[in-house]
Amino acid sequence: MNIHTYEKVWLIAALVLIVGFIATVTYGSVGLGIAMIDDSEETVEPGELGEDERFADPRVEQVGENEYEAYVVAQTFMFSPDPIEVPAGSEVTFYVTSRDVIHSFSVAGTNINTMVIPGEVATMTVEFDEPGEYGVVCNEYCGSGHHNMEGQLHVVEEDEFDMTELSVEADDEVETGDEATIDVAVENRMLEELETTVTLEIDGETFGEDVTVAGGETETTTFTVDTADLGEGDHDWTVTVDDYEDSGTLTVVDELEEEDDDDE
Amino acid sequence: MMTMSNAYIDDFPAEAKVIRAAFYSSFFALALGGVFGVIQTLHRTGYYRFIDSADYYTVLTAHGVFLVISFTIFFLVGIFTWAVTTSLDRGVEDLRFTWGWYGLMAIGITLSGVAILAGFTDATDISASVLFTFYAPLQGHPMFYLGLVLFVVGTWLAGVDWFRSWWAWKGENPDERIPLPTFMVLTTMLMWYIATLGVAAAILLFLLPWSLGWIETVNPLLTRTLFWFFGHPVVYFWLMPAYMMWYVLLPKVSGGKLFSDPLARVVFVLFLILSVPTGIHHQYLDPGIAEGFKFIAMTNTMFLLLPSLLTAFTVVASMEHGARQRGGTGYFGWLKALPWRDPVFTGMALAGLMFAAAGFSGMVNAGMNINYLVHNTFWVVGHFHLTVGTAVALTFMAVTYWFLPQVTGKALWSRSVALGQVVLWFVGMTFMSNAMHRAGLLGVPRRTAEPQYDGFEFEAAVGSIGELQAQIALGGILLTLSLVLFFANVIGTGLNGRSDDLPANEYAGTLSGPEDAPLVLDNLKLWTAIAIVLVIFAYTFPLLSIVDRGGLFGPELNPFPVSIESVTLLAFAVEHLAVGALESLSLPGLLEVIR
Repeated sequence: MNIHTYEKVWLIAALVLIVGFIATVTYGSVGLGIAMIDDSEETVEPGELGEDERFADPRVEQVGENEYEAYVVAQTFMFSPDPIEVPAGSEVTFYVTSRDVIHSFSVAGTNINTMVIPGEVATMTVEFDEPGEYGVVCNEYCGSGHHNMEGQLHVVEEDEFDMTELSVEADDEVETGDEATIDVAVENRMLEELETTVTLEIDGETFGEDVTVAGGETETTTFTVDTADLGEGDHDWTVTVDDYEDSGTLTVVDELEEEDDDDE
Repeated sequence: MMTMSNAYIDDFPAEAKVIRAAFYSSFFALALGGVFGVIQTLHRTGYYRFIDSADYYTVLTAHGVFLVISFTIFFLVGIFTWAVTTSLDRGVEDLRFTWGWYGLMAIGITLSGVAILAGFTDATDISASVLFTFYAPLQGHPMFYLGLVLFVVGTWLAGVDWFRSWWAWKGENPDERIPLPTFMVLTTMLMWYIATLGVAAAILLFLLPWSLGWIETVNPLLTRTLFWFFGHPVVYFWLMPAYMMWYVLLPKVSGGKLFSDPLARVVFVLFLILSVPTGIHHQYLDPGIAEGFKFIAMTNTMFLLLPSLLTAFTVVASMEHGARQRGGTGYFGWLKALPWRDPVFTGMALAGLMFAAAGFSGMVNAGMNINYLVHNTFWVVGHFHLTVGTAVALTFMAVTYWFLPQVTGKALWSRSVALGQVVLWFVGMTFMSNAMHRAGLLGVPRRTAEPQYDGFEFEAAVGSIGELQAQIALGGILLTLSLVLFFANVIGTGLNGRSDDLPANEYAGTLSGPEDAPLVLDNLKLWTAIAIVLVIFAYTFPLLSIVDRGGLFGPELNPFPVSIESVTLLAFAVEHLAVGALESLSLPGLLEVIR
């Protein structure tokens, strides 16, 4: 074949360029360890995510000192959890699946980007060095409300991050003279121990109790309030643990009405 | 006929009529697609909204399907018919067959188009707002899928038509090389036959039966992978006719000859071999496909740069040759000697320039890791508005100014309007696509009615989101104006009287002719076999793995929107139609092919 010299040079340059591209991507993958979304996860039944141990309760979980896993479910037209909260200086592995159609999970302006296909679980590990707030968008058309599908990813300061959950069970109504109890459960979903103070404020009076909650455990603190001191009427209370707060109202009555009273 | 001229219509009046029909179908689709294009540009950027955002996706589906399926493919069957008949210097073998495939394509696209447009009205429950990619479990009306099938079968039969011409010609000219335009048509069609197997399997085995309620579920990853088996090579189906124009027409209008016939053949052979085993590069971000398969697709994709880089050389070298024939001198001074006042030349040259830019954004897309930054963002939309939206569309519009007189026998209405039109397209697309690329880097997604969210805002490092929106809207308006000028010329030419002073129907000669090309290049069986082997390598294991993981019919999932009543009726109709069609239409055609 008769090929002009210039064309031969061009041909060789083109081949060098192509091989160069392939080499850089290979280096990125092997040398720098940039992993691709792949088939490493087992398939799931999109209709039965409610019974799936990872996706029944979409959440962030701590799995190592600075390592977290985020289980994310995409569905028309929302992501859960929303917002996703992780600490700065951590390594987070996302597991994302869909309950219905094909979506994407794309953190705007970053290369955190994956298709979310029903039946498949996309996984990717990301390092978050700095705190920041990002938008999460679905960038695959998923139906008439596609443009409303958004979420948020909050990377918070390491020392402001916790995975504490507060739940309070309190009496609503007690008879004067009886004791009212307020049970405060503090769950620490992080691995390391949590030292904090549970504070109850009722009618301007404050009670505090120091608690230590081991990693992955729940501690319950019970406050007992003598209603004789409070007197009849409504009394607002507030329970505080770090930045978390729960509140309610305790009603002290002269005499409790019968349960099966047919007035109502 | 009393005529002095030597135009295509003088030699092939019957074929000219078919080509005219194909062109007008193409232009009709272009008009519709253009209208939907400007609606969505103004809606998305927020400048003017008169539709509900939920209807945006119907507009988007129509814009996509009408432009990348009907506009491009109707146009290319027109120029392929021209290329085969002109370069073999013989009419089609059986005109009824030719009208047959044109008719099938027209019926098919009408069915699909009606299914899409019906999405605008509540009067019927028919809709197909599933976009050009129709990813399950999004479900369109069966009529949408059926129409696509008929359309594609129409193109298959068109290919049969051109192969028949070649076989007949070869019988009479056993020792001659395949003329270059015919060679390009045949290799393109071979690529197309292999490519469309994917979408045919997706629709016939899964999506159509599923939309008719015959099967309950489909495997979304499987149908998606089969779509991209077709979805990437389809871009070469649009592009290869544009390349053909750059090889056989551009050197001529530049005033010279094609630099190298052998390398043109090499380019088309490379496209035949490498176009299909690359589709998985659209799925770099898909869970359920192993990294190794993605790597294979990437390697093939990168090598697919080669024919485009070779084309860049040949096109520029041919233009330079032309310019020097016209008296151009100097290292770059020859550029001034090119016929910049000729819309056919200028349109193609600007299209080629835009394609070079598209090549760069394409290299970014093809890089498996950097793709994560841009996948499914507005960047991608910017990219393909440079490829199919300019390299292909602008080339097609530019060559229309040469073809229209050839197939109508009428002089072009206005060359200066035509020149303005191609320049306006270039300017409009410069605004629109650069802003789309930049917005994509900020994470602005594609395919969305309102990329404004409640919880956060996109932040531009340079400029602002408002400035990007303004550029996109301005670009869209300029492109619309350009289309108006284009149609003015098409209609104006149609209203002209018959001219007997038209340029002769010729294509470019070559500096280095087919005698320099090794004979093996014309061995279509060999290249087809290699192409098939590469497809088997690239796709067997991914497909088996996907079926193994998710099952042939996938998990239990509800279709969106949920199946509708009129479907049952249609299911009967389809069964009858399919049986009838098999008996009457395909068999005679196929039998002749076999003979």
